[in-house]
Amino acid sequence: MTYLGWVTTYGPTYLDALGWTAVIAVLASLGAIVWGCALLLVPLVAGRWGARAVDAYVQVFRNTPVLLPIYLIYFGFPLIGLPWPAAVCGGLALVLQNGAYVSEILRGSVKAIDRVQFDAAKSIGLSPWSAFRKVVLPQVLVYSIPSLGNQVVLLLKDTSLLSAITVTELTMQAKLLTEQTGAAYEAFAVVAVLYLVLVSGTEVLFRAAHRAVRWSR
Amino acid sequence: MNASTLTLLLEGAGVSLALALTSIAPATILGAALTALGFSRFAALRVLYRLYVYVVRGTPLLVLALLIFYALPALDLRTGPYIAGALVLTLYVGALFAEVFRGGVLAIPRPQWESAKSLGLPPAAMLKKVIAPLVVRYTLPPYINVCVMTVKASSVLSIISVWELTLAAREIIERTLAVFTVLGVAAAIYFIMCFGLDRLGRRLERRLMARGFAGEPV
Repeated sequence: MTYLGWVTTYGPTYLDALGWTAVIAVLASLGAIVWGCALLLVPLVAGRWGARAVDAYVQVFRNTPVLLPIYLIYFGFPLIGLPWPAAVCGGLALVLQNGAYVSEILRGSVKAIDRVQFDAAKSIGLSPWSAFRKVVLPQVLVYSIPSLGNQVVLLLKDTSLLSAITVTELTMQAKLLTEQTGAAYEAFAVVAVLYLVLVSGTEVLFRAAHRAVRWSR
Repeated sequence: MNASTLTLLLEGAGVSLALALTSIAPATILGAALTALGFSRFAALRVLYRLYVYVVRGTPLLVLALLIFYALPALDLRTGPYIAGALVLTLYVGALFAEVFRGGVLAIPRPQWESAKSLGLPPAAMLKKVIAPLVVRYTLPPYINVCVMTVKASSVLSIISVWELTLAAREIIERTLAVFTVLGVAAAIYFIMCFGLDRLGRRLERRLMARGFAGEPV
């Protein structure tokens, strides 16, 4: 079958899988950013022990492959009474892994903020939590947009690993089609192109966001 | 967790490490070659560099691995998963090294280029005595980082049935359902390998810097 024939025959199947990939990537990215912010806050409420715990957490997730948390949650949660669907397990693993990297990115941005901002916030009487929410966090997120974009692209590529726990995203779909029709080249070439489109689209989006935010300041 | 499962996991770790190390060497050469392409006089070669890096970095490693895993038998090269895995890892990490080396070359201060040219050095000597030492000095931390990423990336190859630590752990789990202990130990082994590699790299970095390796004042 020609490539064009392939695309027209299996286009809808691919779009379905693409939807899954996109949804998981978006939700896991948001979750990772929220989790990264939470990890940033832990030293503020738990002092030095909190800082050490977060540091250990980050080191663990930086030095282990992302497949391990995926397997841990997918195979382990049913054993402790939480038989969640595969996509949720995979998404949670991606959030935990990428949250560690996000917290490192955000911590770097916090260090880049002028000390004056913290003093000014205190001098107008903002509580630490309000100061964080209204002064620090917006600036940190703005500074971090390029690095966060990078991390989101990595997360997007990691969604392909969810095919190992039977989530029907793009890579799984390509494997299924290969097994059904034996046409490996076509199946995986189309998927590779789709991933390239997703990655480029994400990069364009984050670059536009970065430009938009800088102008408004 | 008994002795036999631990031995199995450690064997898998050995395979992971071997896979990573045997991919890093050719990947370094590939990366250096690609970087040279990226700085070529000919626009076509530069475009080739950009295209290669774009495709290899924009596609998930698993998709590249499956492509090569299924494509090799189609080209009548029935080499088995290990060769396919090492090949894919080399191609992938080569692109990462190419970007690292490119950053290193771009970081060389302009005065270095100008003094090399004013000395009338031929390209080979310039490469050996000026470019290479500086690039090594600048790129050692990200280079070690990519080496650690290679060890972690080897776990992805478990999905194309390369038997290494992650696949060993998964097989044990499917047999015994001891999910948390087995994966905990596997994670610890990966941690020791990656963290150890990182520390080794940092020690190497310190020793190079102590000797005033590339022109900076000691």
